[in-house]
Amino acid sequence: MVLVLAMGDMHIPHRAADLPAKFKSMLVPGKIQHILSPGNLCIKEVHDYLKSLCADVHVARGEYDDDPRYPETKLLTIGAFKLGICHGHQVVPWGDLDSLTMLQRQLDVDILITGHTHQFKAYKHEGGVIINPGSATGAYSSITYDVNPSFVLMDIDGLRVVVYVYELVDGEVKVDKIDFKKPHQRT
Amino acid sequence: MQQPAQEVMSTAEEQEKWLADAVALVQHNAFFMHRALDANNLRDALKYSAQMLSELRTSKLSPQKYYELYMRTFDELRMLEVFFKEESKRGRTNADLYELVQHAGNILPRLYLLCTVGSVYIKSKEAPAKDVLKDLVEMSRGVQHPIRGLFLRSYLSQISRDKLPDVGSEFEGEGGNVMDAVEFVLQNFTEMNKLWVRMQHQGPAREKEKREKERSELRELVGKNLHVLSQLEGVDLEMYKEVVLPRVLEQVVNCKDELAQYYLMDCIIQVFPDDFHLQTLETLLAACPQLQSTVDIKTVMSQLMERLSNYAASSPEVLPEFLQVEAFTKLSNAVVKVIEAQPDMPLVGAVSLHVALLTFILRVHIDRLDYVDQVLGGCVKKLEGKGKVKDNKATKQLVALLTAPLEKYNDVVTMLKLANYSKVMAHLDYETNKVMATVIIQSIMKNGTYITTADKVDALFELLRELIKDGEGLPAEEVDEEDFKEEQNLVARLVHMLVNPDPDEMFKILTTARKHFRQGGPRRLEYTLAPLVFSASKLVRSLQGREASEDSPVSLEKIFQFLHKTVEDLSMVPAPELALRLYLQCAEAASDCNMEPVAYEFFTQAFVIYEEEIADSKAQVTAIHLIIGTLQRTQVFGVENRDTLTHKATGYSAKLLKKPDQCRAVFACSHLFWVDDEGGVKDGERVLLCLKRALRIANAAQQMSSATRGSNGPITLFVEILNKYLYYYEKGNPQVTSNVIQGLLELIQTEMQSENTVQDPGVDAFFASTIRYIQYQKLKTDEVGERYAAIQT
Amino acid sequence: MNYLIGAFKPPCTVTVEFNDAETRKQANIKKENGQMAPVPLFQSQESVVGEVRIEPLPGKKVEHMGVKIELLGQIELYFDRGSFYDFTSLVRELDVPGEIVDRKIYPFEFSTVEMPYESYNGVNVRLRYILKVTISRSYATNIVEYKDFWVRNFSPPPEINNSIKMEVGIEDCLHIEFEYSKSKYHLKDVIIGKIYFLLVRIKIKHMELEIRRRESTGSGPNTYNETETLAKYEIMDGAPVRGESIPIRLFLSPYDLTPTYRNINNKFSVKYYLNLVLVDEEDRRYFKQQEITMLRID
Repeated sequence: MVLVLAMGDMHIPHRAADLPAKFKSMLVPGKIQHILSPGNLCIKEVHDYLKSLCADVHVARGEYDDDPRYPETKLLTIGAFKLGICHGHQVVPWGDLDSLTMLQRQLDVDILITGHTHQFKAYKHEGGVIINPGSATGAYSSITYDVNPSFVLMDIDGLRVVVYVYELVDGEVKVDKIDFKKPHQRT
Repeated sequence: MQQPAQEVMSTAEEQEKWLADAVALVQHNAFFMHRALDANNLRDALKYSAQMLSELRTSKLSPQKYYELYMRTFDELRMLEVFFKEESKRGRTNADLYELVQHAGNILPRLYLLCTVGSVYIKSKEAPAKDVLKDLVEMSRGVQHPIRGLFLRSYLSQISRDKLPDVGSEFEGEGGNVMDAVEFVLQNFTEMNKLWVRMQHQGPAREKEKREKERSELRELVGKNLHVLSQLEGVDLEMYKEVVLPRVLEQVVNCKDELAQYYLMDCIIQVFPDDFHLQTLETLLAACPQLQSTVDIKTVMSQLMERLSNYAASSPEVLPEFLQVEAFTKLSNAVVKVIEAQPDMPLVGAVSLHVALLTFILRVHIDRLDYVDQVLGGCVKKLEGKGKVKDNKATKQLVALLTAPLEKYNDVVTMLKLANYSKVMAHLDYETNKVMATVIIQSIMKNGTYITTADKVDALFELLRELIKDGEGLPAEEVDEEDFKEEQNLVARLVHMLVNPDPDEMFKILTTARKHFRQGGPRRLEYTLAPLVFSASKLVRSLQGREASEDSPVSLEKIFQFLHKTVEDLSMVPAPELALRLYLQCAEAASDCNMEPVAYEFFTQAFVIYEEEIADSKAQVTAIHLIIGTLQRTQVFGVENRDTLTHKATGYSAKLLKKPDQCRAVFACSHLFWVDDEGGVKDGERVLLCLKRALRIANAAQQMSSATRGSNGPITLFVEILNKYLYYYEKGNPQVTSNVIQGLLELIQTEMQSENTVQDPGVDAFFASTIRYIQYQKLKTDEVGERYAAIQT
Repeated sequence: MNYLIGAFKPPCTVTVEFNDAETRKQANIKKENGQMAPVPLFQSQESVVGEVRIEPLPGKKVEHMGVKIELLGQIELYFDRGSFYDFTSLVRELDVPGEIVDRKIYPFEFSTVEMPYESYNGVNVRLRYILKVTISRSYATNIVEYKDFWVRNFSPPPEINNSIKMEVGIEDCLHIEFEYSKSKYHLKDVIIGKIYFLLVRIKIKHMELEIRRRESTGSGPNTYNETETLAKYEIMDGAPVRGESIPIRLFLSPYDLTPTYRNINNKFSVKYYLNLVLVDEEDRRYFKQQEITMLRID
């Protein structure tokens, strides 16, 4: 069992002061094995914070990210799963699922972590699942109005992924769960 | 006065030896004393006990060793006391015994014996306790040697403890009253303290430190008296106020000894109950300025305030008492007086006193902001004319002074009400000031404190001025870039705490913040303006779709003007990449507000920046995608404007440096002509043109690769274009036919099998999953499935 | 010499007995050999009444020219040994010349005898009272027998008894003020007082109070003074500072004191002094002596 945190689009300091306190208190060091972020953190301090939760942090670059070393896309394998991270501003139309599935085909990954729209999304389709963890700070977005802060925790266990989405709605944390099984046959 | 040289120069071994010798003699005489006791021989008992006690006449021993010797004899005297008790049962009167022991020629043994008999005498009640006690304490004056006197009086204190005519004691009444008990203890205390103080002045000056250490070891002997006083049942508030405290303080003040004054003040504070302190605050505090200027008065007063604070916290019922005695006013006045009385007090001391006072207020008068401000004001007065404080310790205390209320109220807004807060802060050196400013911002964030008016923003930024602009105290050396970045990011984050749901006020807040930020110079604007833009964008959202009212000071127009100006400022910094992104954000916002000209203007600015300022090819790729992405979402434009902008976008796309980038940007542009929403543009022809153009570019890339490397490049671009074709095919673009797709599929397959083509497993997988996708789609039973039936894989 | 003594051994025993020997008080007096012995105690104006018993040795008889008893008050100066001064001399004739064969008892009485001076055993002088029985003989030496008795006279409590108060000092060095509550003390009295330190610039180690007795004998150029320290009583340990006051309480009862004798029969005086001694760390002694009057009060 591996816990993977997906969290992005914090837009600190441009659009938000900090992560919600409720999130911060939930996220304790040492529980999470990997962090995947689709970018727009935007500053080192936020990266450092993620590092404080877990040493293994992977970030794909958002258009506001300070750090030029973040790649446009990042691929990695966790257990039986191939994962890809891409912020998504490169994929026009933004947030368009058909376009994202195309990216997923291109990256050839089971799970694509993406962002940019600040709206949580978990989309299951034949080729895998696309997850947008939303904005962890609930940052302003011109794409999505009234953004609720959210992030995603993935529990990868064998061929199964349970995706927990944490969303802060009116000051309360709501948790949702989505199950995803890796298709058996693959060429 | 000088003591014999061997005493001061004695080594530890010598001390041990002297002690051992003395102990041996004590034991020797004690042996004969015991024999006499067993034989009921009073005369011999007195003789040997006096000889034994004579060992205590030594001047050689250090206080510590003397104490050991004293304890030895103390135990022996307990036995003698028992004997005296029996002696009186055998018919000898205690008065007789009391006289008899006074025949001893040497004073020290005589007085130890007298105390011992005195103890029995009081117990027998043959004489009033008060008379015996008075006599004993009076006679003890004969021993003026500090250490010997202290121990003798300590013995007196010890044997008399349970014989004081206290209220409720068996010795009350005939034996006297509590006043006699108090009088006795006070006198013993006074004399002991005098002896203790005198130790300091005996011996050579170079031994000062050693003496202080030795004295320190003896302080409990003196302090014990105060403890006894505090334990007396009969010492009620009245008596404490009228007798005990004034007398103790008189001695404390008059002894003019630093060590004693500090210790005893502390002792008073610790041993007597809190409510006594509260009710006698004035008296106690009045003593403080009278102490030696070297006394660490701040610690003493801090401890007092600490105790009172705890007392206040112990129960809400005691709070009215604090108000009734005006505790704060008294403490506050005392602080002023002490500072006046000790002109040499280092700044750190004065500031610490204020810190203590402040702590007191925060515990006792949490609701009295005016008090808090008053204390800060007092500190400002002390700092007047001193400029930036350079002393490290004082600076630390100043920080404590500023931090304490912040931590207590957890609310920076409350701090802003304190007129003196920023004045104190102004005395911090540049670096510390910045640290403090950082602390303030962190407090705001941690506590989620929102700054809700422009005035407060004004005040807050005044407080944070060292972060917001270059101050006068700016050090010459280069500021660390990392640190600067961190600070400015913090300021940037702060912007999101400046909010008010009322648009008018919010707009004022934004303009106020910008006014301050502008003073920070381009270096800072790079950090501070972007959050303002987003904050203003949010404001736009809140006004969007709302009826504009004539008399409202804020309108969408004004906000967009604000945004325009702000982003323009940023572009001048220059920060072109960020400015471009922000223009696009603004454009989209304007579009959402249905303000075509404004949106157009923002796009124009974005393009201008793109053209003029963004030279890096990678940056260009990102920028162009952002332009396309934004433009794709912008629905406000009429045909003309739209054509202009899309034309520009495709034009720039095709002009990117690298062919693959060109290719991808161009096929991305296809979306500008096909918006899948209802009522969106659906210009299939122009979509196809884009895709064809992309194909041409892909072909050109392939040829280039073949020409330069002798091999064909990866066919990724073709697979990507194929996917775009599939996208539009699915969406029902009539221009995209199954034939075209079929052709493209074959092309790719041919290319893949070509020997010239570099094998790339990634591309193979991409293609494979595309094929798989087509197969999935074919399986679908809906419209899409039907459409896909025409495609062969 | 033994046989000589035997040869001159008086032919009788003479004993002097007081009538109230059983009930009379006695004083413990140190004899010349140092032993303490009880001696009958009288005071002035008492009648000295008793009897003299003369018992011839068996087979002997005493021929005499008369028997008398004298009551003598004598001052004996040791430096001038042998010289007695009788300041009192009373005689009673007990018998006319004759012969004593058997035991014979003569009662005697000196009524209301004036005994103005107290008995005293000093260093250079002794004042004694004796009864002297003399059997006068014409051809042999007189037979003489002595009987000592002790006289103590009580004074009335003094009507005026001022305190002794004095400020003394050494300039810029030491100034003290001392006070003894009285100037006249009875023999079992307590000396109460205090020392007040006005200025202390020397390193005092301790302070003691001495009781000294000065016996003066002779007169003019032939005056002999003998001073004894009867008591050394430490009253302070350590060095006081300015403003300190030290209490004194000295019980006189343990010490062998007599009343003050002034110019007894122009032969001698015995005076008492309190000597306050301060000792500094170099063992230098600073002292001040004050006379006190000792009285015997009933």
